[in-house]
Amino acid sequence: MAMKIRELLARIAQVLYVIFVRNRKGLLGLSILLFFAAIAILADYLAPYNPYETVAPPFQPPSHEHPLGTNDIGQDILSEVIYGTRISFYVGLTAPTLAATIGLLLGLAAGYLGGAVDELVSGIIDVMLAIPSLPLIIVLAAYLGPSLNNIILVLAMFGWVGIARVVRAQTLSVKERPYIEAARALGASDSRIMLRHILPNVAPLMVAYIILGATSAILTEAGLSFLGLGDPTAKSWGQVLHHAHVRHALELGLWHWVFVPGACIALMGMSFTLIGMALEEYVNPRLRSFEAA
Amino acid sequence: MPMSFLVKRSIRLVIVFFVILVLNFLLPRVMPGNPASILANEYQLPPETVKILEEMWKLNRSLPEQFVAYLESLFTGRWGYSYKYFPMPVYDLIMQRLPWTLLLLGTSSLTVFGLGVVLGIVAGWRRGTRTDSAITFTAVLVYAIPYYWLAMMLQYVFGYVLKTFPIGHAVTPGAIYTTPLDFVKDVLWHLTLPVLAITLTAYASYTLVTRNTMVDILGEDFILVAKAKGLPERRVMWHAARNALLPPVTMLAIRLGHIVGGAVFTETVFSYPGVGYLIYESIIYKDYPVLNAAFFMLAITVIIANFIADLTYMLLDPRIRYGKR
Repeated sequence: MAMKIRELLARIAQVLYVIFVRNRKGLLGLSILLFFAAIAILADYLAPYNPYETVAPPFQPPSHEHPLGTNDIGQDILSEVIYGTRISFYVGLTAPTLAATIGLLLGLAAGYLGGAVDELVSGIIDVMLAIPSLPLIIVLAAYLGPSLNNIILVLAMFGWVGIARVVRAQTLSVKERPYIEAARALGASDSRIMLRHILPNVAPLMVAYIILGATSAILTEAGLSFLGLGDPTAKSWGQVLHHAHVRHALELGLWHWVFVPGACIALMGMSFTLIGMALEEYVNPRLRSFEAA
Repeated sequence: MPMSFLVKRSIRLVIVFFVILVLNFLLPRVMPGNPASILANEYQLPPETVKILEEMWKLNRSLPEQFVAYLESLFTGRWGYSYKYFPMPVYDLIMQRLPWTLLLLGTSSLTVFGLGVVLGIVAGWRRGTRTDSAITFTAVLVYAIPYYWLAMMLQYVFGYVLKTFPIGHAVTPGAIYTTPLDFVKDVLWHLTLPVLAITLTAYASYTLVTRNTMVDILGEDFILVAKAKGLPERRVMWHAARNALLPPVTMLAIRLGHIVGGAVFTETVFSYPGVGYLIYESIIYKDYPVLNAAFFMLAITVIIANFIADLTYMLLDPRIRYGKR
């Protein structure tokens, strides 16, 4: 048993090495992500002020005390941006995880049980894919009211579809393999087959989807906040941009107020995308760019 | 046989349409208060007027009865009144804004698709080279850029600092045009930055998908045969590129929603008088009837465009055209 665990750990370490060290995209993505993670963890020490407190006159241009200036009610923009990192991590990790869990359960059920369950789930997936998600997400967020958890809920409601579809397809193909038949012949129950034999096969896909889903979750949360649907008690980068837009920051020449939070959103989204791509290349070697024709 | 694909897609179109109809009906009804009472609060309407409005909108009837009334008013263009622009009918408001959004969406769909696919074909054809890395890396870089952020930066640089393009609106306010050409020029001049913002932030996913499909296809036997036959490079590339077009066309269907999203944000930044800007305004002013109608219009636009994309897909892929899968 101990031998097996050591082997497994060695295998995981090797996979991580290939994805995050040998792959330049993975390495870059991980570096950016670790940078933001450090900011999020050390926010209390890094931020010069409380982002919810008025500490100076409003609309200050960048200065020594306020490297990014102050906003329309005299809050320090740099501190807002630093604390915003936490919100982005929170949304970027919870929403896709929730979505992946829903997608996994429905995809497994549809693929393994087949029949009416499959018809129903596949039908819902088909309709969900055809519904324009962003307008609907905006309307739902507007009706549910400004709360971070409501936004996460709405994101999960739309995020599960892609995962469910992939898990269903994978389950369908795994289910016909001889070792599943053997397990069934030995009297294994449906739930045991799903958990012990099919789940390990779809788990890598799930990880890839959670990571790729993080980018879109972060971007969508920021977008909703930009439109004024954000949670006022949880300042995110999108909300900083919302206030900059509403208070005409650019007209006043305060471009830092817009540039920095937006660049943070883009960089963090990019880091998740890069890691997702490195993962994808690991799973599908044909995509590796260093493999010349 | 070729009909089955069409029939399936048509059935889906109807179901999706129905789902959107029902959502559009239910959402305002789970909110506290009804349109009549909200208007009464906002504009100090006398109780008799509220009663008349409630009667007119059948707000005191049972849900099924309300649903029938809702369907009836939906198809006759009686979409209620804007809370903010009262007594402006929502229908008029939407119809004023819709042409601008369609112009923005149409133009940027073409530029996004064109730029994305061309870059993807080039990157895939030259896979493993520096060109490929440059195109792929740039695509990853812009993939995560928020539309509104790029729009704001473009607005700042080209609008406020260099003053080469207008900072907003669809036409110069108060302008009088001597010829129709002047009008067209003015519209295009105002359209440039919004379209540029959408294009630069939305093309990336097309590039990545087209590139990967190209790489996959270039590994297939028929490409080897084409090369072995001694076809010129260009012809071989065309063979591959033609087949690499399928996934991006499907994506156009799925991602059109994203371009619509891009339009909502870009219109907001540039105060471009389309449905997207209307959505932003209705969120800020809690103008729910307008929000609902704008959502409905955008959803319908996307669904119809999806359906057209499906038909195009059918024309491009002979396997579907002839009903063989």
